[in-house]
Amino acid sequence: MNWADLRWLVPELVLSAAAVLLLVADLFTPAERKRWLGWFAVASVVPAAASAVILLGDLQALRSPGVRIFSDTYTLDAFAVYFKLVALGAVALVSLVSLEYFPGRTPHLGEVFALLLFAGVGLLLMASASDLILLLLSIEFVSLSSYLLAGFLKRDPKSNEAGVKYFLYGAATTGVMAYGFSLLYGLTGSTSLYDIGPRLGQAGPAVYLAVGMALAGFGFKVSMVPFHQWTPDVYEGAPTPITAFLSVGPKAAGFAALVRTLSVGIPLEQVNWPLLLAALSALTMTVGNLLALVQRNLKRMLAYSSIAHAGYVLMALAAWRSPWALQGLLYYLLAYLFMNLGAFFVAMVAADATGSDEIPDHAGLSQRAPWVAAAMAVFMLSLTGIPPTAGFFGKFYLFAAAVDAGLLWLAALAVANSVVSLYYYVGVLRALYLMPPATPGPLPVPAGLRAGLLVALVGTLAAGLYPQPVVLFVETARRLLTG
Amino acid sequence: MPLDWAYVAVFALVGAGMAALPLGLVWLLAPRSHYPQKRVAYESGIIPFGEAWSQFHVRYYLFGLAFLLFDIEVIYIYPWAVVLRELGAFAFVEMLIFLGVLGVGLAYAWKKGALEWV
Amino acid sequence: MIGLSHYLVLSSLLFGLGLYGVLTRRNAVAILMGIELMLNAANVNFVAFTRFVDPTFVRGHVAALIVITLAACEAVVGLALVINAYRHLETVNVDQVDLMKG
Repeated sequence: MNWADLRWLVPELVLSAAAVLLLVADLFTPAERKRWLGWFAVASVVPAAASAVILLGDLQALRSPGVRIFSDTYTLDAFAVYFKLVALGAVALVSLVSLEYFPGRTPHLGEVFALLLFAGVGLLLMASASDLILLLLSIEFVSLSSYLLAGFLKRDPKSNEAGVKYFLYGAATTGVMAYGFSLLYGLTGSTSLYDIGPRLGQAGPAVYLAVGMALAGFGFKVSMVPFHQWTPDVYEGAPTPITAFLSVGPKAAGFAALVRTLSVGIPLEQVNWPLLLAALSALTMTVGNLLALVQRNLKRMLAYSSIAHAGYVLMALAAWRSPWALQGLLYYLLAYLFMNLGAFFVAMVAADATGSDEIPDHAGLSQRAPWVAAAMAVFMLSLTGIPPTAGFFGKFYLFAAAVDAGLLWLAALAVANSVVSLYYYVGVLRALYLMPPATPGPLPVPAGLRAGLLVALVGTLAAGLYPQPVVLFVETARRLLTG
Repeated sequence: MPLDWAYVAVFALVGAGMAALPLGLVWLLAPRSHYPQKRVAYESGIIPFGEAWSQFHVRYYLFGLAFLLFDIEVIYIYPWAVVLRELGAFAFVEMLIFLGVLGVGLAYAWKKGALEWV
Repeated sequence: MIGLSHYLVLSSLLFGLGLYGVLTRRNAVAILMGIELMLNAANVNFVAFTRFVDPTFVRGHVAALIVITLAACEAVVGLALVINAYRHLETVNVDQVDLMKG
C-alpha cells in the first residue's frame, strides 16, 4: 500500500471530501441560503465524473485491463468506470430536482445533499469492490444513507413508515449476506474474489448455501423476487426524488457488484448460477408485472415496474455464456437510468399541484403541461420497449443474449411480460391524454425539475436514436471486466 | 473423563436445587390470598394513574447513540497503534484523516445541540 | 479439544436464533436485536475461520471489526428511524405500521 495507489481512488475521494465539506458548511449557512448547498452537491459531481474519465484514459495508456489495489480489495477497470458514471449521473440529477422538492418540506436541507453524496460514495465503491469486506462495507454504506433518506420527512407518517420498513428489510438481508460471506471466507480461506474463484473448486455442497445467502444481499439491492417485498412500500412512502434515486442508483450498483462477484468469485463450473438466475429472473419479471397491473398509485406502479425491470436485467446473468449478455446489462441500466428517473420526475410535477400520487389525479396533464405529458409518453413507451427509444435497444440486446444462450423460453416469457406491461404503462398515458383535468390552467414546473426532465428525455431519445457511442463504450467495458 | 462430567452434573443438580428449594417451600407453606389491588403497580401508596409506559425524553437516546458511535471508533485505533511503527507515516496520516472526519461528526452533533443536557 | 466445528455449531445456533427473532417478533426493536444476533453469528464465523483456515491469519479479524462497526451504525440509524416513527405513529409494532398496502 502506498501513496501512488490513492490516485485510482480520486473520484471517491473527491465525492467524500465534498460531502464532509457540505456537512460543515451546512452548520454555518443561514436557512435562506441553504439552496446553495444543493448547487454545491450538483457541482461536486462534475470533478468526480471527470476524474473517473481521466482514470479510464490512464488505464488505456497503461494498456492494462484494470488495476487491483489495496491487496486486491479494489479493482478499477472500464466496467467500474461505466457504473461510476451511471451512479454519478443519478446523484447529480436527483440533487438537481431535490433543490426545489425539499425546501418547505424539511428544514434540514444540507443533510439531504450530504446523504446523497455519501450514498454516491458508496455506489462508486460498490462498482469497484472485489473483496467480500469492501463489498459488505460499500453495500451497507449505500443502505444506511438510503434508509435515512427514505425516512427523511420526519413529519410525514408515510415517509416514517418507508424508512422503518426499508431499514428492517435491509438490515435483515445484510445479516444473511454477512453470514453467507463468512461461509465463503471459511470455504476458501480468503476474502478476495480473485482468490475465492480458483479455490472454490475444493469446497463441497456448502458452496450452494454460501452463494444463496450472499445472493440475498444483492437481491435486496436490486429488488429481486423473493427479496422484493420492501419495494412498493418504500417507493410509495419515500420522498419522490429519493424514490427516483433508489430506483436507479443502488439498483445499478447492486447489479455491478453482483456481476463482479459472480463472474470473478463463483466459477461457472462449480455453481451453475446462470440456471438459478434464469429461474429468479422469470419469477421476478412475472411477479413485478402482474402486481403492477392492479396499482392505482403511480409511485407504487413504478415500484412494481422496477421489480419487473430487475427481472429483465437478471436475464443477462442467466444468459451469461452469451457474449451479448454483459453488453445488454450495461446498455439496459443506462437506458433505465434515464427513463425511470424521467418517469419519477413527471410524477413529481402533478403531485406538487394535487398532493396526490394516484394515477387518476394526473388526469389532463397533457392540457396543463403539454411538454411534461409528452416526455412521460416517451418514458412510458421506453419502459415498455417500443422503438426508437433507449428501452427498445436495451431489451433487444437482452432478448438477443437470452436467445443466443439457448434460453428461448426465458426470452419468450420476457416478450410476453413486455406485452402485459404495455397495458399499465399506456394506462398512465390514457389518464394524461384522454381524461379531462380536475382543475384547468397551466401547471408551473420549477426550473431544476425542468432541467432534470430535459436531461432524462434527451438521454432516453439519444440512446435510442443514436446508440453507437454507448454501444462502443459498452463493448469496451465488456472486454475490460477484469476476470 | 466420565467422572469429571458426573461432577458437573452433581453441581448442576445441587445448584438448581438450591434455587428451587426456597421457592418450593414458600409455595407449599405460605398462606395465599388474591384480591385485585394486589395486581396494581406500586406507587408509594397512591392509586396509580396514566400509562405504565412513561415517555423517556428523546435525549437519552441521542446520548446513547452518539456514545455508541464514538465508542466503536476505538476498535480501529487499537490495531492501528499496534502496527504503527511498521507502517510509518502513511498510517499516521490515514489515522489523522479518520479522526478528522470523526471530529467533523462531533462538531456537527455539538452544533446541532445533541450534546446539550438541558 | 475445541475445534472448528464447535464454533460453527455455535454460530449457526446464533444465526438461527437471530433469524427466528427477525421472522417472529413484531416489535421493531426486538427485530433489530435479532439482526444483531445474525451479524454476531457471522463474526464468530469470521474469527473462527481466521484461526483455522486462513493462512494469513488476518482477513477474518478485519472483517469482524468491520461487521462490529456496521452493526453499531445499523443500530444507531435503525433506532433513530424507529424512535421517530414511534413519535408519529405511536407504535413500534410492525403489524400496525401499515399505512400503505396493495
